[in-house]
Amino acid sequence: MTDTQTAGAPSTGTAASGPAGGKKDEKQERIASLWSDAWRDLRSNPIFLIGAFLVFCMLVLSAVPGWFTSGTPFAANACTLQNSLKPPTGENWFGFDVQGCDIYTRTIWAARNSVIVGVVTTTLVLTVGGALGLLAGWLGGIMDSILSRITEIFFAIPLLLGGMLIMSGREGNAWTVSAVLATLGWPQIFRIMRSSVLQHKNNDYVVAARALGASTVRITLRHILPNAIAPVIVVGAISLGVYIGAEAALSYLGIGVQPPEISWGLMISDAKDRFLQAPHVLLFPAAALSITVLAFIMVGDAVRDALDPKLR
Amino acid sequence: MRGATSAKWVAGAVIVAMAATACSTSKEGDGKAKSGGNITVVLGEPQHGLIGQNTAESEGAEVLNALFTGLVDYDNKTNEPKLAVAESIETQDSKTWTIKLKDGYTFHNGEKVDAQSFVRAWNWGANQDNAAEGLPFFSKIEGSDELAPGKDKKPTATELKGLKVVDEKTFTVTLKAPFSQFKTMLGYNAFYPLPKAFEADPKKFGEAPIGNGPFQMDGAWEHNKQIKVKRFENYAGGKAKLDGVTFKIYDNLDTAYNDLRADTIQIVDKLPTSAMATVSQEFGERYIYKPESGVGYVGLPLSTNPEAFGKVEIRKAISMAIDREALTKTIFNGTRKPADDFINPIIPGYRKGALGEVGTYNPTKAKELWTQAGGVPGNKIELGYNADGGHKEWIEAVANQLKANLGVEVTAKPFAKFGDMLTDLGDKKYKGAFRMAWSMDYPAAENYLRPIFSKVAIDHGSNYGGYVNEEFEKLMDEADKTVDPAASLKLYQQADDIIIRDLPYIPVFTYMSSSAYSKSVKNVEIDAQGRMDLANVELN
Repeated sequence: MTDTQTAGAPSTGTAASGPAGGKKDEKQERIASLWSDAWRDLRSNPIFLIGAFLVFCMLVLSAVPGWFTSGTPFAANACTLQNSLKPPTGENWFGFDVQGCDIYTRTIWAARNSVIVGVVTTTLVLTVGGALGLLAGWLGGIMDSILSRITEIFFAIPLLLGGMLIMSGREGNAWTVSAVLATLGWPQIFRIMRSSVLQHKNNDYVVAARALGASTVRITLRHILPNAIAPVIVVGAISLGVYIGAEAALSYLGIGVQPPEISWGLMISDAKDRFLQAPHVLLFPAAALSITVLAFIMVGDAVRDALDPKLR
Repeated sequence: MRGATSAKWVAGAVIVAMAATACSTSKEGDGKAKSGGNITVVLGEPQHGLIGQNTAESEGAEVLNALFTGLVDYDNKTNEPKLAVAESIETQDSKTWTIKLKDGYTFHNGEKVDAQSFVRAWNWGANQDNAAEGLPFFSKIEGSDELAPGKDKKPTATELKGLKVVDEKTFTVTLKAPFSQFKTMLGYNAFYPLPKAFEADPKKFGEAPIGNGPFQMDGAWEHNKQIKVKRFENYAGGKAKLDGVTFKIYDNLDTAYNDLRADTIQIVDKLPTSAMATVSQEFGERYIYKPESGVGYVGLPLSTNPEAFGKVEIRKAISMAIDREALTKTIFNGTRKPADDFINPIIPGYRKGALGEVGTYNPTKAKELWTQAGGVPGNKIELGYNADGGHKEWIEAVANQLKANLGVEVTAKPFAKFGDMLTDLGDKKYKGAFRMAWSMDYPAAENYLRPIFSKVAIDHGSNYGGYVNEEFEKLMDEADKTVDPAASLKLYQQADDIIIRDLPYIPVFTYMSSSAYSKSVKNVEIDAQGRMDLANVELN
């Protein structure tokens, strides 16, 4: 993914930077902005549209699960043993799990923890990794060396293995899982940001801005960051899906989100022993997990294609 | 014994496709002469060497049952003790017992089974230096404290004071206190005799034991592969009909079950859960489904958390809010039955429906009792279980039922191992309800009461709830002293009634054992301990 460089895009990023031309001009002459080009590209990309639609659904689902189900899995009478392992019917689309809980309701409500983990982890990773990467790339010298060495230490720890190590013996919920995944995930963003900044900081427009007397902070935020951030966003979108998968894996192993909270990983783990007896109990949460991860990866992929001028 | 081995089997059954057990394709004994012949049966690798005194799990006991015969044996149906090697076991006061042996029993090496062979075995088992699993069984015998003074202390004697050899065929046992059920205990494998040859090298003996039972070793124990035994021709009891039996060691019951279907092995006495749905259809009359000695409870920490569980109404409400019928049918696929007494159905003294109202699912009454008693502080209950034994599902089901029927917040709390939970309970660190199970050491009603609910069992036993009731203690002591079996049983039942009234634990289910055998064998019976009665098995 490091080939997603944006060399030569000489704009400061805001799309409306063109002269007062009006709509007629826009039609005749494309505004040469990286972001507007990308957006134009994305709008006509079916992969992006499908992915974005799924991501949108997922976000709505986790924000207001009540719109999609009548009950909640936390109600006192949510599960009745008499319904144990009943297959899907017209009324209960996904059937029931071994405890007699409605799988549809649980699958919908479990989306929230996955989305929380995905979004919070990605935000943390982007902020921490991005800020430190910017700092290291811009300042260079001893600061860069120190930060890079620290990153390498974190980079050496595998995501899942490290996650298991830190999570064991800690109370698991969506927030702690996010924190742990972010702790292990930021070096990737750091590296991309740093290399991106290094590439941009000696470009003409930066030198020009400096010659005009712009302050370091202004140059960094107004000129470097908008140009360097594209690859970071691409990686961020793709890894969002990866973090959701990692949460499910940790929960499956019993060290992620803990009951009575629900998560797709937990549901899969509970269903695995009776897979031959009642496969639907496992298949529905597994499908939900796959679709969500796939949606984020599709969006990430499409954005990468759109932002990469070499592929255009 | 607390069902440790069944947990191991469950764990083994989960790890499907891990076992690379070599399946022998030769159908031994198939199509040979009607009498005699050889069969192969399932086994799990025993934990220790094959010494009765050092075996407290089902797999070793299975083999020992073929190799040894104790003083008494249990009826396969009624579970009443009947004399085996013993000619008579008599007492006047339930304290001093005189045991006379039958003539004719010899060890497989020709040595006579005399009084000394029992005294030798028991002295070895009671000595803490030998760290035998069966040591607690000897604690009732006078002088056992000198042989087992406790950790960091040295035994001050090597022989139990309470054992006296009168002559070659007679010895007496003096107990610390009267105990009317002593005779019932004697069928347990900790009380098997040992020959002189044992003393030279107990460790080596455990690999190829010389017993006094219907079968003798045919070569040494081949670890993780098999144990072969052959008929002992000079056996004084009923001679075995088969020429030999191979105990084939499996680490995966699914593999064993498949081998049974192919008639590669002939008896599987622990069917895997995956087989439960179809086995009765496939095996018909050759499928044996019968109660086993285990009882599963929800335990309540009465002494450490009286604020929550101190009131009997609260305990009754919890008990009545559990739908035992639905639980055993759905979660356990019928491998458990709803409990209706503290005493297991296979034990003499069990009364059907003894729990009465408190054992019957009645959510309305439960909620009523609960509200009257004012609920629990914070309206929260924790339900602890060990995560390594396949208990998660039923504990969560109970949690759901309590939530729905009592309106209380219930959290299922996993502990990594059973031992972790017991340690936290013992240290009074854990104050929630907990899962508990008991499987008998010997078939007596007493064994379901004293080790779990008596005062002395708080420190030396399994009274993890800390329940104490003087009335109960008195009845138990009196029953222990009463020589007449019927009268003593009545007293035990009265003690049982007190437990039912006070409900220190909530009995939820009793265990069922399921076994099946192939077409090529007949006369297969499984005894109450879940062991195959191999001496009577015949080829078709």
